[in-house]
Amino acid sequence: MMIRVAPPPLRQDVDLSKTYDAVIVGSGAAGGMAAHVLTAHGMQVLLLEAGKRLPIEQELRSMEWPYDHPRRGDAPPGSHAISFNEYTVRRPPYAKASAFRHVYSYVGGWGGSDYVKNILVDEKDHPYTGTRYAWVRARALGGKTNIWGRLALRLSDYDFKAKAHDGYGEDWPISYADLAPYYDKVDLYLGISGVKESLPHLPDSLFQRPTKLNVAEVQLRERMARMGRVVTPYRAGVTTDGLKHNKYRSKCFGRGACSRRAGGCDIHAAFDSPTGLIYPAMDTGRLTLRTNATAYEVLVDRNSGRARGVAFLDSETRKAYEANGKVVILAASTLESARLLLLSRPRQHPNGIGNSSGHVGHNFCEHVMGPGVTGLVKELVGKPHTLDDGRPGGFYVPRFRNLKDRQPGFIRGYGFEGSSGHSMFPAHTMETPGFGAQFKKTVRDYAGAFISMGGFGEVLPRYESHVDLDPAEQDRWGIPVLRFHYQFGDNERKMAEDMATTAREMFEAAGIEVIGVDREILTEGWSIHELGTARMGRDPKTSVLNQFQQSHDVRNLFVVDGSSHVSASCQNPTWTIMALAWRSCDYLAEELRNGSL
Amino acid sequence: MTDLSRRDMIAATAAALVTPLLPAAPVIAQRPARFLTPAEFALLDELTELIIPTDEHSPGARAAGVAGYIDGQLAESLDPEWQARWRAGLQAVEALARELHGKAFLESMPDQRIAVLTRMAAAEGFFGELKLRTVHGYYTSKIGIHMDQAYKGNVYQRGDYAGFDAT
Repeated sequence: MMIRVAPPPLRQDVDLSKTYDAVIVGSGAAGGMAAHVLTAHGMQVLLLEAGKRLPIEQELRSMEWPYDHPRRGDAPPGSHAISFNEYTVRRPPYAKASAFRHVYSYVGGWGGSDYVKNILVDEKDHPYTGTRYAWVRARALGGKTNIWGRLALRLSDYDFKAKAHDGYGEDWPISYADLAPYYDKVDLYLGISGVKESLPHLPDSLFQRPTKLNVAEVQLRERMARMGRVVTPYRAGVTTDGLKHNKYRSKCFGRGACSRRAGGCDIHAAFDSPTGLIYPAMDTGRLTLRTNATAYEVLVDRNSGRARGVAFLDSETRKAYEANGKVVILAASTLESARLLLLSRPRQHPNGIGNSSGHVGHNFCEHVMGPGVTGLVKELVGKPHTLDDGRPGGFYVPRFRNLKDRQPGFIRGYGFEGSSGHSMFPAHTMETPGFGAQFKKTVRDYAGAFISMGGFGEVLPRYESHVDLDPAEQDRWGIPVLRFHYQFGDNERKMAEDMATTAREMFEAAGIEVIGVDREILTEGWSIHELGTARMGRDPKTSVLNQFQQSHDVRNLFVVDGSSHVSASCQNPTWTIMALAWRSCDYLAEELRNGSL
Repeated sequence: MTDLSRRDMIAATAAALVTPLLPAAPVIAQRPARFLTPAEFALLDELTELIIPTDEHSPGARAAGVAGYIDGQLAESLDPEWQARWRAGLQAVEALARELHGKAFLESMPDQRIAVLTRMAAAEGFFGELKLRTVHGYYTSKIGIHMDQAYKGNVYQRGDYAGFDAT
């Protein structure tokens, strides 16, 4: 049915004697994009990934029925996913005293934990300390793109120029016009599905065929239009028409596996970094991949203070190696890249490389989650069961707060992700009281009649929201771990209250019976959208990177992941991470050609 | 699932539709017990069927092998406290049946069994766990997914996806 090609062969005995044009740390969205763009420019690139290259199709097994799995998809006994309650009542390191053999972040508790047990890190090996934080990490080729949520949104000048609007924080050193051509490139190279809405605050992409809204969602869309609010089909980083230039990826066939589990697509219709970016880059003959390479330091030339490479441990043997490059590119994730900068303290950079501003690890931000609403569409009760989940996502409600209006309690905004209709496992079984024939019939009659949505709100970057190195705690490899100093503030709490209020208000206006409103804020980190620990800016005193994600202090050091973001926006960051990385790597290649690096 | 196999499955469980009125021995479960004793397993099998019974629409938890699924989980578990809670929970069902009706649960009449379960459902404790595992086992089974829910997904779709066009 599909034409997919096996990945290129993998060798661990890579040549570390030569000096590569660039050494990249991390193979997720940012590192994969850097590898793609730089090899396309003819550069010789070494890509380091701390995890393994998994036989990912065998891990994900997207279409395996629950009853064909010995534990109905559960991970083996002795595995445990940290619950919301544990994150709330306990403090990091959460897995330290655990009696379980393996402990995973909360994502490991979503349907089918057996399918992500080798993708998510074991929290026992990867402790962190400080304030409460639900840190979700994936160490494997492709990182979190193996299981990401697929919502692919653009930012706008409402984000890049937010300070000009409300006076808070810093503006980005770029505007939408600078990034728009690169969003276009990402759209065309990787594929995105959605519907044009012509919103100034949520610019349209170059969309492939959209997925459709089901009957309850259409009802919500029509009623919301009267309120001036938008309900649009999920903008998914999924190719629905296929990509002629990529032999590793199939188009989407609406199998619905992505919504049933933690994510993941074994035909790679949903973007993931290995098939979307890394394998095509390897096919150029210019990309060398070294997996099981745990980077622990950016190496610096003793005389010039310039970056000369990366020191890493083999993740299994723990043997130390050095990789040499003319340029070093960090793409290890917002928090891991900050950790690497802080870990690299040569004589010339006593506070960590690239950290003359003292801003590395600071201005940490993300999205606040929790508030939302569940409703019942009474007209759908007892109707024949329809296919509603055969699509990469349900719907998205773009931000509507603090655009033209000024909310008294908070600045910035939030959007909602939602879905409705039938899925493999019926909704609200445990909330249905009683037992017996009536219970069974009620579950059956109501299964497709529920609709729900939850908010994602912009968390303000604050200097005091930061991570640093814990002086005492180390990970399994003996590397100092991160310590969090981060919690939601008053703006987030007020915003979250408003989210719950407007969520209810929208369902009521749409004629949907509200059966539950969530007001509780989920633990910091829950959104998996951590951003801003090495922000860009024009002033080297208050920012770490320039507009091309290039260190102000060290010209041949770049940090191309979410750590560069100046503010969180309320839109999901993956597409912006990739557009920025593409733009920066175009600049980098030109500078290298000019001899300016 | 094809229509043919769906019909086969209904036929295979037709017997279950007419037997529950008699306090006869329960239909033999599909999977041998691994943690529970035969008596405990028979009790659990009946409890799951009372929670999700066979009706005119679809077979119930017994036909779906829910007790076997739960017993498998108990057998594999590394948590002796959880195993002990299940054993104690099943013993409490027996104790309640004797208290209310003076006989073992499986020797009680159908309405007496329902009375026991109704009492349990009104209280905190074992019933919640029993129902949770029964529901999970049933709706992840072939019968639950394909017959009861008539789930249409997890297939390669041709053309556009289901739903109403918003464009």
